[in-house]
Amino acid sequence: MSIRRRTILSWAAYLGGALRLSGVRVWAQTANFPANQDDALRALAVVVLPAELGTAGIDQKTEAFVRWVRGYRAGAEMDHGYGATRLRSKGASPAPNYLRHLEGLREALLSGDADSKRQAVTAALEQAKITDLPRTPDGRHVAADLMAFYFRSSDGNDLCYRAAIGRDQCRGLDGSEQAPAPLKGRA
Amino acid sequence: MPRYESDICIIGGGITAAMLALKLSELRPELSITVVEAGKRLFDTENRMAYRQRTIDYAENAWPGDFIEDQAAQGVISRTMAVGGSALHWGGTCNRFSEEDLRLKSMFGLYTDWPLAWTELEKFYCEAERRLGVSGEPSPFAEDRRSEPYPMAAMAMTHNLIELKRWADQSGVPFQTTPQAKNTEPYDGRAKCIRCNTCAICPTGARYSPDYTFRRLLQRKNFALHDQTLVRKLVLDDAKSTVAAAEAVSYLKPDEPVEYRAPVFALTSGYCWSPHLLLLSRSPRFPNGLANSSGLVGRYMCGHAFQSAMIEIDAKIYPGMNEQHGLISRQFFRVKDREHFVRHDLRVWESASGHEPRLRSADGRILLGDSLLADWRQRAQRGTARVRGYHDVHPDRESSLTLDAAAKNRFGDPLPKIDHRLDAATLARRDFTHEHFQQLFQKLAQAGNGKVLNTGAGNYLDHPAGGCRMGGDPASSVCDSFGQTHDHENLFVAGSPTLPNAGCTNGTLTFVALTLRSAERVAERFHKG
Repeated sequence: MSIRRRTILSWAAYLGGALRLSGVRVWAQTANFPANQDDALRALAVVVLPAELGTAGIDQKTEAFVRWVRGYRAGAEMDHGYGATRLRSKGASPAPNYLRHLEGLREALLSGDADSKRQAVTAALEQAKITDLPRTPDGRHVAADLMAFYFRSSDGNDLCYRAAIGRDQCRGLDGSEQAPAPLKGRA
Repeated sequence: MPRYESDICIIGGGITAAMLALKLSELRPELSITVVEAGKRLFDTENRMAYRQRTIDYAENAWPGDFIEDQAAQGVISRTMAVGGSALHWGGTCNRFSEEDLRLKSMFGLYTDWPLAWTELEKFYCEAERRLGVSGEPSPFAEDRRSEPYPMAAMAMTHNLIELKRWADQSGVPFQTTPQAKNTEPYDGRAKCIRCNTCAICPTGARYSPDYTFRRLLQRKNFALHDQTLVRKLVLDDAKSTVAAAEAVSYLKPDEPVEYRAPVFALTSGYCWSPHLLLLSRSPRFPNGLANSSGLVGRYMCGHAFQSAMIEIDAKIYPGMNEQHGLISRQFFRVKDREHFVRHDLRVWESASGHEPRLRSADGRILLGDSLLADWRQRAQRGTARVRGYHDVHPDRESSLTLDAAAKNRFGDPLPKIDHRLDAATLARRDFTHEHFQQLFQKLAQAGNGKVLNTGAGNYLDHPAGGCRMGGDPASSVCDSFGQTHDHENLFVAGSPTLPNAGCTNGTLTFVALTLRSAERVAERFHKG
């Protein structure tokens, strides 16, 4: 009995250590995202974000996505719904998945021409069985999540309508009876 | 065991409690009031802008900690349990019911009448609107006449709403803006709305929220708010039928029971937890729970059904201008007779439905970058209206809240289980109701060269109420129109549980109006000695 007990305890200690190491690794991957995949992420952004944003705009959105990943809080409470209620919390950080996806796309993104880059990203999304943009990035694929991050954002909405709607801003009531002003420059 | 004594013990800390306590403190400032609430107080207004941003960016809960994990009910439509209750994150919609809601039996031979005259309720609607700070415009229908104007001018229609109203009016159905507890000017110490488009977490206080009232009350020396304290049972005086005490437990010291004693108890825990506590308070003298000699505690649970449509129209809509502000038509509050009984409101909001970015084209190709944007722009040329009608349905006696022996909280108390059921007359007109809405949606669509994208019916009853219905006859009701229970003269139930039926539009203003009326009766008890 004592041997079995010692065995169980040693396994528990090993697993605990592994989990702690794993937790530290995820934390580090989240905090330092995208680490050595920065070039791949920027190349991916050029493929999946609209050219209308321009180089600087794409860089700006990419950096906002990086900040989003770094600010992710695994386990944070989510809204518990209305009508159909359910207590939910945010899943694990998507950073490790993203790094894996970027590693898988790295060669195509950094060496191919525009068409082959698009084909590689399309193939990756097909392989991941992504059917639509998630409501908020969910870690299933970095390409879909980067698109969701931008296209579902207030800025993405403005670009689509070419108007300064500012959906997520506090804008005041005055003037709201007018159509929003045309977008100045790029969203 | 800690024992707290006050003149009035209010159980439950939502909007009903806030309004009851506020008015009592004005009518009888010398009275001591204690409010006991199971959830936490979330008074950190300084963090609300940050919470709002986390909600937008990460879909995190805008009200962290606003629930109790093991205090859940099957069939409940909101898990919020905190000081302020569901009204912490309500949309602020402040529609009135209409006289028909109070006169179903006498006007249509359906369900029941309320023991309350419309003109009487209307006075308290005015007071409720003043206290909450409602901005609105009068209805075009004479039946909706008001004895006082709204305290604030209606919120301006956005470009989108102007477009939607132009379209909707073409159908021949008159629409107006929906009245809301949102400030169109600084009001009652709170700021003017700055159109943040996130009313569920208003970062400025422009939308009324009960926590503001509680903070004001806390400045009074004879007001106490005990949060994180769950009342588990009401106990009667020996040999009398008056309530002597509320037995409670603090989540912070769960091993130490707490007792609240008062000459008057008011139950303000909403449609779910009010009947639940009465049922939990069973004893050898009252084996079916308190206030339950009629057997109707936890019966006639009500709400309204709803039918919705997304309608694509020829209009330039810019999604996101103010998605929280909408239009209402009260035309269908009135019906000719019982044979044509489909009563409902009709609501219109801007929407992006059908015009959102998508990953795959209609033929299934994956879209990236420029192609995704082009596809989105092409589909976004037309606008979408979100249309919904809350329709009047009536509960059966068996529409119930019962104690679920299979689900218990950490203290071993059985949790509630809600099972809504509609009465036979409502079920009999189900097909007629469905057909009415389909025709109405088509009529609206045609007015704007439009297309109904989809329709749907809700799978739950919204804006729920009931469980302690009011009435003149103790054999067929739990309390009178003031919420005073027939069985226990010092026990009141206030707000939503007292409604016999839930009307055909949002109920919060009605809950508040009834509560303000109850407050006068409670205050009178002390005048009498």
